[in-house]
Amino acid sequence: MSEIAFLGAVELGLVYGFVALGVYLSFRILDFPDLTVDGSFPLGAAVAAVMILAGVNPWLASFAALAAGACAGLVTATLNQRFGILHLLASILTMIALFSINLRVMGRPNVALIMQDTVLTPFRGLGLPDHYVRPLFVAVLLVIAVVLVARFLKSEFGLAMRATGVNAKMARAQGVSTSLHVYAGIALANGLVGFSGALFAQTNGFADVTSGIGTIVVGLAAVIVGETLLKTRGILIALIGCVVGSVLYRIAIQLALSADAIGLQASDLNLVTAVLVAIALVLPRLRARRAA
Amino acid sequence: MISVSGLEVVFGAGTPLEKRALRGVDLVVPAGQFVSVIGSNGAGKSTLLGSLAGDVKPTRGTIEIAGQDAARLSGNGRARAVARVFQDPLAGSCGALTIEENLALAHARGKRRGLGLAVTSSRRELFRERLKELGLGLENRLEDQMALLSGGQRQAVSLIMATLARADLLLLDEHTAALDPAMAEFVMSLTERVIGETGVTTLMVTHSMRQALDHGDRTVMLHEGKVVLDVSGDERRTMQVEDLLHMFKRMRGQELDDDALLIG
Repeated sequence: MSEIAFLGAVELGLVYGFVALGVYLSFRILDFPDLTVDGSFPLGAAVAAVMILAGVNPWLASFAALAAGACAGLVTATLNQRFGILHLLASILTMIALFSINLRVMGRPNVALIMQDTVLTPFRGLGLPDHYVRPLFVAVLLVIAVVLVARFLKSEFGLAMRATGVNAKMARAQGVSTSLHVYAGIALANGLVGFSGALFAQTNGFADVTSGIGTIVVGLAAVIVGETLLKTRGILIALIGCVVGSVLYRIAIQLALSADAIGLQASDLNLVTAVLVAIALVLPRLRARRAA
Repeated sequence: MISVSGLEVVFGAGTPLEKRALRGVDLVVPAGQFVSVIGSNGAGKSTLLGSLAGDVKPTRGTIEIAGQDAARLSGNGRARAVARVFQDPLAGSCGALTIEENLALAHARGKRRGLGLAVTSSRRELFRERLKELGLGLENRLEDQMALLSGGQRQAVSLIMATLARADLLLLDEHTAALDPAMAEFVMSLTERVIGETGVTTLMVTHSMRQALDHGDRTVMLHEGKVVLDVSGDERRTMQVEDLLHMFKRMRGQELDDDALLIG
């Protein structure tokens, strides 16, 4: 694997690190299997790309993508909390609706961002080659996000959100509005995913309506790989684990695809993904069985 | 003061499975009184507790908690007024959170939860002090997961949790029923101590007549959704489990064949 390919994998892993944080919030903190992310990721990419093309400040466009993702999350949470639709089904409904909405937002299946000013533009030409600048830039943003999310989960509001996911009956007896915390948590999770989509569009130079397919699998893979590697009860370490998992997952995929000897090609990506996630899921069980 | 008047609860009204769980309960509990509630299965104990806690909506009748109409207290307001300890030790706390995080959750019961840190150093000091009362060494295990504690330890911590924030009413729902006898004894004496210190008005539901007579200031017996016995003072002090049973039989004019009441 070349240096450029390696750094490319790291960069992609870092971009999807935001997805991993979002998936950790919905799946692990709230115990809410949320597939909305397959729609909110391309939604974030679409919103950011269209706004940048319209001449809006790229930072503003990125935060608009975050807000759009959060709104998508609120739709899922409303279907579930207000109307009692099963969480999984509610999120699938939002996800397929978003496919059409994303096409509407962009007006066509994909949008190119070549030669546009992005959040990365000011950092280009500072002496470092571009393929170093991109992962470094995303890494800095991701560190800020990890610190903020960890701090949030240690706040009174965040603690109540964790209690909502672990023991809703107890949380309600303590006066916690479990429904409010589901709304807030799913909105925050999809906001992070939307922001991830915006970064993806800007680092790769395009937004595509199909780029969301499998986002949930990638996010879950990152969370599970992280949990397998860093066994912890601490929130901050668990979040760092999600990010590390996301990067390692991308490197593993890159290794598998670039090893010519195996004879895999780019179109085998989804198969490799599924196999890697299955391995990550099976390994802890095998280990536990051997220990028992 | 807690005031329940004409409380009726009907489940599944108008269906073949209609169940009249409470058929007009009147109960006035002065502030600071510790009442034990007893009755056989299906007597309405849990429904009464659920109505006070806000889980069960009364079909008719009113509940007043410290002068407030309970029907107007929802969610946070009800949680501010009513603290609870559940029968299942796993139900009252979060196993996946640490001891101090559970205490912090309870410390904010009924209050607005903002973005400030949940576990601050001053709160940690307060938690340590309260846990020390238990004499279980838990004050040195604040960062341990709740799931690592035994059922009895969790129930003891649940009691501390219930009394961290001020409440107008403490509900104990057979909170020693799932524990072994020694641990049940310990949790009961802890209950007495905590109630004595805080002076909180308490309703304790129990299956055990022994426990109902040994603890608290007043014993109320429910049968088929009604209060059939209400004793306190001297009459209660000299009362034995056998007397209670006898009175119960005479009052109902029927044979009592539920030996669950005799256990304990």
